[in-house]
Amino acid sequence: MSESLEKLQNRILSDAKHQSEETIKEAQAKSQQILEEARQRAQRESEDIIAKANVEAESIRRSILSSKVRVNRLRILDEKNRIVEDIIHSVEDQLSSISKSEQFEETAQRFVTEAVKAVDTDQPVVRIGFRDMSKRNLDEVSKVLPKGGKLVIDEKPIDNLGGVVATDPEGKVVFNNTFKSRLERLDNQLLTLISSTVFGE
Amino acid sequence: MSGIDAVKKIVETEAQARRIVDEASSKAQQIISQTREQAERIRQEAIGRAQQQREEILREAKSKAEAEALQSDKETEQILKTYRKLSEERKSAAVSKAVELILNA
Repeated sequence: MSESLEKLQNRILSDAKHQSEETIKEAQAKSQQILEEARQRAQRESEDIIAKANVEAESIRRSILSSKVRVNRLRILDEKNRIVEDIIHSVEDQLSSISKSEQFEETAQRFVTEAVKAVDTDQPVVRIGFRDMSKRNLDEVSKVLPKGGKLVIDEKPIDNLGGVVATDPEGKVVFNNTFKSRLERLDNQLLTLISSTVFGE
Repeated sequence: MSGIDAVKKIVETEAQARRIVDEASSKAQQIISQTREQAERIRQEAIGRAQQQREEILREAKSKAEAEALQSDKETEQILKTYRKLSEERKSAAVSKAVELILNA
Protein backbone atom coordinates (compact mmCIF):
# COMPACT_ATOMS: atom_id res chain seq x y z
CA MET A 1 0.00 0.00 0.00
CA SER A 2 2.74 2.44 1.03
CA GLU A 3 4.91 1.53 -1.95
CA SER A 4 2.15 1.98 -4.50
CA LEU A 5 1.18 5.32 -2.91
CA GLU A 6 4.76 6.52 -3.28
CA LYS A 7 4.75 5.46 -6.90
CA LEU A 8 1.52 7.32 -7.47
CA GLN A 9 2.94 10.44 -5.84
CA ASN A 10 6.06 10.18 -7.98
CA ARG A 11 3.93 9.72 -11.06
CA ILE A 12 1.82 12.79 -10.25
CA LEU A 13 4.94 14.92 -9.68
CA SER A 14 6.66 13.50 -12.74
CA ASP A 15 3.65 14.34 -14.91
CA ALA A 16 3.55 17.84 -13.49
CA LYS A 17 7.27 18.34 -14.18
CA HIS A 18 6.89 17.01 -17.69
CA GLN A 19 3.93 19.31 -18.31
CA SER A 20 5.83 22.28 -16.94
CA GLU A 21 8.86 21.48 -19.12
CA GLU A 22 6.57 21.32 -22.17
CA THR A 23 5.01 24.66 -21.21
CA ILE A 24 8.43 26.28 -20.94
CA LYS A 25 9.60 24.72 -24.20
CA GLU A 26 6.48 26.00 -25.97
CA ALA A 27 7.04 29.45 -24.50
CA GLN A 28 10.65 29.40 -25.66
CA ALA A 29 9.64 28.30 -29.14
CA LYS A 30 7.00 30.98 -29.31
CA SER A 31 9.55 33.43 -28.04
CA GLN A 32 11.90 32.54 -30.88
CA GLN A 33 9.06 32.96 -33.33
CA ILE A 34 8.15 36.38 -31.89
CA LEU A 35 11.78 37.51 -32.16
CA GLU A 36 12.11 36.23 -35.70
CA GLU A 37 8.91 37.98 -36.76
CA ALA A 38 10.03 41.15 -35.03
CA ARG A 39 13.37 41.04 -36.85
CA GLN A 40 11.65 40.48 -40.19
CA ARG A 41 9.18 43.27 -39.51
CA ALA A 42 11.97 45.61 -38.42
CA GLN A 43 13.88 44.69 -41.58
CA ARG A 44 10.86 45.44 -43.77
CA GLU A 45 10.16 48.75 -42.03
CA SER A 46 13.83 49.76 -42.25
CA GLU A 47 13.94 48.92 -45.95
CA ASP A 48 10.77 50.90 -46.46
CA ILE A 49 12.26 53.93 -44.67
CA ILE A 50 15.45 53.72 -46.77
CA ALA A 51 13.53 53.27 -50.02
CA LYS A 52 11.40 56.34 -49.25
CA ALA A 53 14.52 58.27 -48.24
CA ASN A 54 16.10 57.48 -51.62
CA VAL A 55 13.00 58.76 -53.44
CA GLU A 56 12.94 61.86 -51.22
CA ALA A 57 16.67 62.41 -51.82
CA GLU A 58 16.17 62.32 -55.58
CA SER A 59 13.30 64.76 -55.25
CA ILE A 60 15.44 67.14 -53.14
CA ARG A 61 18.27 66.85 -55.65
CA ARG A 62 15.98 67.60 -58.59
CA SER A 63 14.36 70.49 -56.77
CA ILE A 64 17.72 72.13 -55.93
CA LEU A 65 19.09 71.57 -59.42
CA SER A 66 15.99 72.62 -61.35
CA SER A 67 15.73 75.76 -59.26
CA LYS A 68 19.38 76.58 -59.97
CA VAL A 69 19.08 75.76 -63.67
CA ARG A 70 16.00 78.01 -63.88
CA VAL A 71 17.82 80.89 -62.20
CA ASN A 72 20.86 80.45 -64.44
CA ARG A 73 18.75 80.25 -67.60
CA LEU A 74 17.14 83.53 -66.58
CA ARG A 75 20.58 85.08 -66.00
CA ILE A 76 21.66 83.99 -69.48
CA LEU A 77 18.43 85.26 -70.99
CA ASP A 78 18.79 88.58 -69.16
CA GLU A 79 22.34 88.98 -70.41
CA LYS A 80 21.31 88.20 -73.99
CA ASN A 81 18.44 90.68 -73.72
CA ARG A 82 20.80 93.31 -72.33
CA ILE A 83 23.21 92.78 -75.23
CA VAL A 84 20.42 92.89 -77.82
CA GLU A 85 18.90 96.01 -76.21
CA ASP A 86 22.31 97.68 -76.26
CA ILE A 87 22.69 96.88 -79.97
CA ILE A 88 19.19 98.15 -80.73
CA HIS A 89 19.99 101.43 -78.94
CA SER A 90 23.09 101.77 -81.12
CA VAL A 91 20.98 101.01 -84.19
CA GLU A 92 18.49 103.69 -83.14
CA ASP A 93 21.35 106.17 -82.63
CA GLN A 94 22.69 105.48 -86.12
CA LEU A 95 19.25 105.66 -87.69
CA SER A 96 18.39 108.92 -85.98
CA SER A 97 21.53 110.55 -87.31
CA ILE A 98 21.13 109.28 -90.87
CA SER A 99 20.69 112.79 -92.27
CA LYS A 100 24.44 113.24 -91.84
CA SER A 101 25.20 110.20 -93.97
CA GLU A 102 25.56 109.84 -97.70
CA GLN A 103 22.69 107.40 -97.75
CA PHE A 104 20.18 109.94 -96.55
CA GLU A 105 18.73 111.25 -99.79
CA GLU A 106 18.39 107.84 -101.34
CA THR A 107 16.82 106.47 -98.16
CA ALA A 108 14.41 109.36 -97.73
CA GLN A 109 13.35 109.03 -101.37
CA ARG A 110 12.74 105.35 -100.95
CA PHE A 111 10.76 105.82 -97.72
CA VAL A 112 8.59 108.44 -99.40
CA THR A 113 8.07 106.23 -102.46
CA GLU A 114 7.04 103.28 -100.31
CA ALA A 115 4.67 105.39 -98.21
CA VAL A 116 3.06 107.03 -101.27
CA LYS A 117 2.58 103.66 -102.88
CA ALA A 118 1.02 102.31 -99.69
CA VAL A 119 -1.63 105.05 -99.38
CA ASP A 120 -2.36 104.68 -103.11
CA THR A 121 -3.70 108.15 -103.94
CA ASP A 122 -2.91 110.88 -106.52
CA GLN A 123 -2.79 113.55 -103.85
CA PRO A 124 -0.76 112.11 -101.01
CA VAL A 125 0.26 114.28 -98.10
CA VAL A 126 3.72 113.26 -96.98
CA ARG A 127 5.17 114.40 -93.66
CA ILE A 128 8.89 114.05 -93.38
CA GLY A 129 11.02 114.69 -90.31
CA PHE A 130 14.57 113.58 -89.54
CA ARG A 131 16.99 114.92 -87.00
CA ASP A 132 19.35 117.61 -88.34
CA MET A 133 17.70 117.39 -91.75
CA SER A 134 18.43 120.38 -94.03
CA LYS A 135 16.24 121.76 -96.76
CA ARG A 136 18.97 120.96 -99.22
CA ASN A 137 18.59 117.28 -98.34
CA LEU A 138 14.99 117.36 -99.48
CA ASP A 139 15.36 118.68 -103.00
CA GLU A 140 15.67 115.19 -104.42
CA VAL A 141 12.93 113.86 -102.18
CA SER A 142 10.33 116.21 -103.64
CA LYS A 143 10.97 114.75 -107.06
CA VAL A 144 9.55 111.35 -106.18
CA LEU A 145 6.19 112.80 -105.15
CA PRO A 146 3.34 112.62 -107.70
CA LYS A 147 2.20 115.95 -109.17
CA GLY A 148 -0.72 116.35 -106.80
CA GLY A 149 1.35 115.38 -103.77
CA LYS A 150 2.26 117.63 -100.90
CA LEU A 151 5.41 117.46 -98.80
CA VAL A 152 5.19 118.70 -95.21
CA ILE A 153 8.48 119.13 -93.43
CA ASP A 154 8.60 118.53 -89.68
CA GLU A 155 11.35 120.35 -87.87
CA LYS A 156 11.58 117.59 -85.31
CA PRO A 157 12.20 113.93 -86.08
CA ILE A 158 8.88 112.10 -86.35
CA ASP A 159 8.43 109.45 -83.59
CA ASN A 160 11.76 110.61 -82.07
CA LEU A 161 13.95 108.68 -84.53
CA GLY A 162 12.71 110.27 -87.72
CA GLY A 163 10.97 109.06 -90.85
CA VAL A 164 8.06 109.58 -93.16
CA VAL A 165 4.27 109.42 -92.71
CA ALA A 166 2.00 109.48 -95.76
CA THR A 167 -1.77 109.98 -95.75
CA ASP A 168 -4.51 110.46 -98.34
CA PRO A 169 -5.94 114.03 -98.54
CA GLU A 170 -8.69 113.20 -96.02
CA GLY A 171 -6.25 111.65 -93.60
CA LYS A 172 -8.21 108.39 -93.56
CA VAL A 173 -5.46 106.20 -94.94
CA VAL A 174 -2.18 106.50 -93.09
CA PHE A 175 1.09 104.74 -93.74
CA ASN A 176 3.74 105.20 -91.10
CA ASN A 177 7.20 104.72 -92.53
CA THR A 178 9.21 106.10 -89.64
CA PHE A 179 12.23 104.30 -88.28
CA LYS A 180 10.28 103.47 -85.16
CA SER A 181 7.46 101.78 -87.09
CA ARG A 182 9.96 100.00 -89.34
CA LEU A 183 11.75 98.73 -86.21
CA GLU A 184 8.42 97.46 -84.90
CA ARG A 185 7.43 95.84 -88.21
CA LEU A 186 10.79 94.14 -88.57
CA ASP A 187 11.10 93.24 -84.89
CA ASN A 188 11.31 89.46 -85.37
CA GLN A 189 13.74 89.65 -88.28
CA LEU A 190 15.81 92.17 -86.37
CA LEU A 191 16.11 89.98 -83.28
CA THR A 192 16.97 86.94 -85.39
CA LEU A 193 19.59 88.90 -87.30
CA ILE A 194 21.20 90.30 -84.13
CA SER A 195 21.14 86.91 -82.39
CA SER A 196 22.65 85.10 -85.33
CA THR A 197 25.34 87.74 -85.78
CA VAL A 198 26.33 88.01 -82.11
CA PHE A 199 25.56 84.59 -80.68
CA GLY A 200 25.71 82.50 -83.84
CA GLU A 201 22.18 81.20 -83.24
CA MET B 1 -0.98 4.06 6.95
CA SER B 2 -4.68 4.53 7.05
CA GLY B 3 -6.79 5.16 3.96
CA ILE B 4 -7.46 8.72 5.10
CA ASP B 5 -3.74 9.41 5.44
CA ALA B 6 -3.16 8.03 1.98
CA VAL B 7 -5.83 10.29 0.50
CA LYS B 8 -4.29 13.27 2.36
CA LYS B 9 -0.88 12.43 0.88
CA ILE B 10 -2.34 12.26 -2.63
CA VAL B 11 -4.16 15.57 -2.18
CA GLU B 12 -0.90 17.21 -0.97
CA THR B 13 1.04 15.74 -3.86
CA GLU B 14 -1.54 16.97 -6.37
CA ALA B 15 -1.37 20.43 -4.82
CA GLN B 16 2.40 20.34 -5.18
CA ALA B 17 2.01 19.21 -8.81
CA ARG B 18 -0.44 22.06 -9.49
CA ARG B 19 2.05 24.54 -8.05
CA ILE B 20 4.77 23.15 -10.32
CA VAL B 21 2.49 23.52 -13.35
CA ASP B 22 1.31 26.98 -12.28
CA GLU B 23 4.87 28.16 -11.74
CA ALA B 24 5.83 26.88 -15.18
CA SER B 25 2.82 28.61 -16.71
CA SER B 26 3.72 31.84 -14.95
CA LYS B 27 7.34 31.53 -16.09
CA ALA B 28 6.16 30.88 -19.65
CA GLN B 29 4.04 34.02 -19.59
CA GLN B 30 7.00 35.94 -18.26
CA ILE B 31 9.20 34.59 -21.07
CA ILE B 32 6.64 35.65 -23.68
CA SER B 33 6.17 39.05 -22.08
CA GLN B 34 9.94 39.69 -21.92
CA THR B 35 10.30 38.48 -25.48
CA ARG B 36 7.64 40.89 -26.69
CA GLU B 37 9.51 43.73 -24.97
CA GLN B 38 12.77 42.56 -26.54
CA ALA B 39 11.07 42.32 -29.95
CA GLU B 40 9.82 45.90 -29.65
CA ARG B 41 13.32 47.03 -28.65
CA ILE B 42 14.77 45.25 -31.69
CA ARG B 43 12.19 46.93 -33.91
CA GLN B 44 12.76 50.38 -32.40
CA GLU B 45 16.54 50.04 -32.69
CA ALA B 46 16.27 48.95 -36.33
CA ILE B 47 13.92 51.84 -37.13
CA GLY B 48 16.23 54.22 -35.28
CA ARG B 49 19.18 53.04 -37.38
CA ALA B 50 17.11 53.37 -40.54
CA GLN B 51 16.07 56.90 -39.57
CA GLN B 52 19.72 57.85 -39.06
CA GLN B 53 20.54 56.32 -42.42
CA ARG B 54 17.66 58.31 -43.94
CA GLU B 55 19.04 61.57 -42.51
CA GLU B 56 22.45 60.71 -43.94
CA ILE B 57 20.99 59.90 -47.38
CA LEU B 58 19.11 63.22 -47.44
CA ARG B 59 22.15 65.17 -46.22
CA GLU B 60 24.33 63.58 -48.89
CA ALA B 61 21.74 64.22 -51.61
CA LYS B 62 21.46 67.88 -50.63
CA SER B 63 25.19 68.30 -50.47
CA LYS B 64 25.69 66.57 -53.83
CA ALA B 65 22.96 68.67 -55.46
CA GLU B 66 24.47 71.86 -54.09
CA ALA B 67 27.83 70.86 -55.55
CA GLU B 68 26.16 70.23 -58.91
CA ALA B 69 24.37 73.59 -58.60
CA LEU B 70 27.72 75.24 -58.02
CA GLN B 71 28.97 73.62 -61.21
CA SER B 72 25.94 75.02 -63.02
CA ASP B 73 26.85 78.48 -61.67
CA LYS B 74 30.40 78.11 -62.98
CA GLU B 75 29.15 77.00 -66.41
CA THR B 76 26.71 79.91 -66.48
CA GLU B 77 29.48 82.38 -65.60
CA GLN B 78 31.51 80.95 -68.47
CA ILE B 79 28.59 81.33 -70.88
CA LEU B 80 27.99 84.93 -69.74
CA LYS B 81 31.68 85.70 -70.18
CA THR B 82 31.58 84.23 -73.69
CA TYR B 83 28.48 86.27 -74.57
CA ARG B 84 30.10 89.48 -73.33
CA LYS B 85 33.19 88.74 -75.39
CA LEU B 86 31.12 87.94 -78.48
CA SER B 87 29.12 91.10 -77.94
CA GLU B 88 32.29 93.22 -77.85
CA GLU B 89 33.68 91.53 -80.96
CA ARG B 90 30.51 91.46 -83.03
CA LYS B 91 28.47 94.44 -81.88
CA SER B 92 29.67 96.66 -84.68
CA ALA B 93 28.78 94.06 -87.35
CA ALA B 94 25.39 93.44 -85.76
CA VAL B 95 24.60 97.16 -85.68
CA SER B 96 25.59 97.56 -89.34
CA LYS B 97 23.48 94.61 -90.45
CA ALA B 98 20.50 95.77 -88.38
CA VAL B 99 20.72 99.33 -89.77
CA GLU B 100 20.95 97.87 -93.25
CA LEU B 101 17.84 95.77 -92.59
CA ILE B 102 15.80 98.71 -91.30
CA LEU B 103 16.85 100.93 -94.17
CA ASN B 104 16.42 98.46 -96.99
CA ALA B 105 13.82 95.89 -95.97
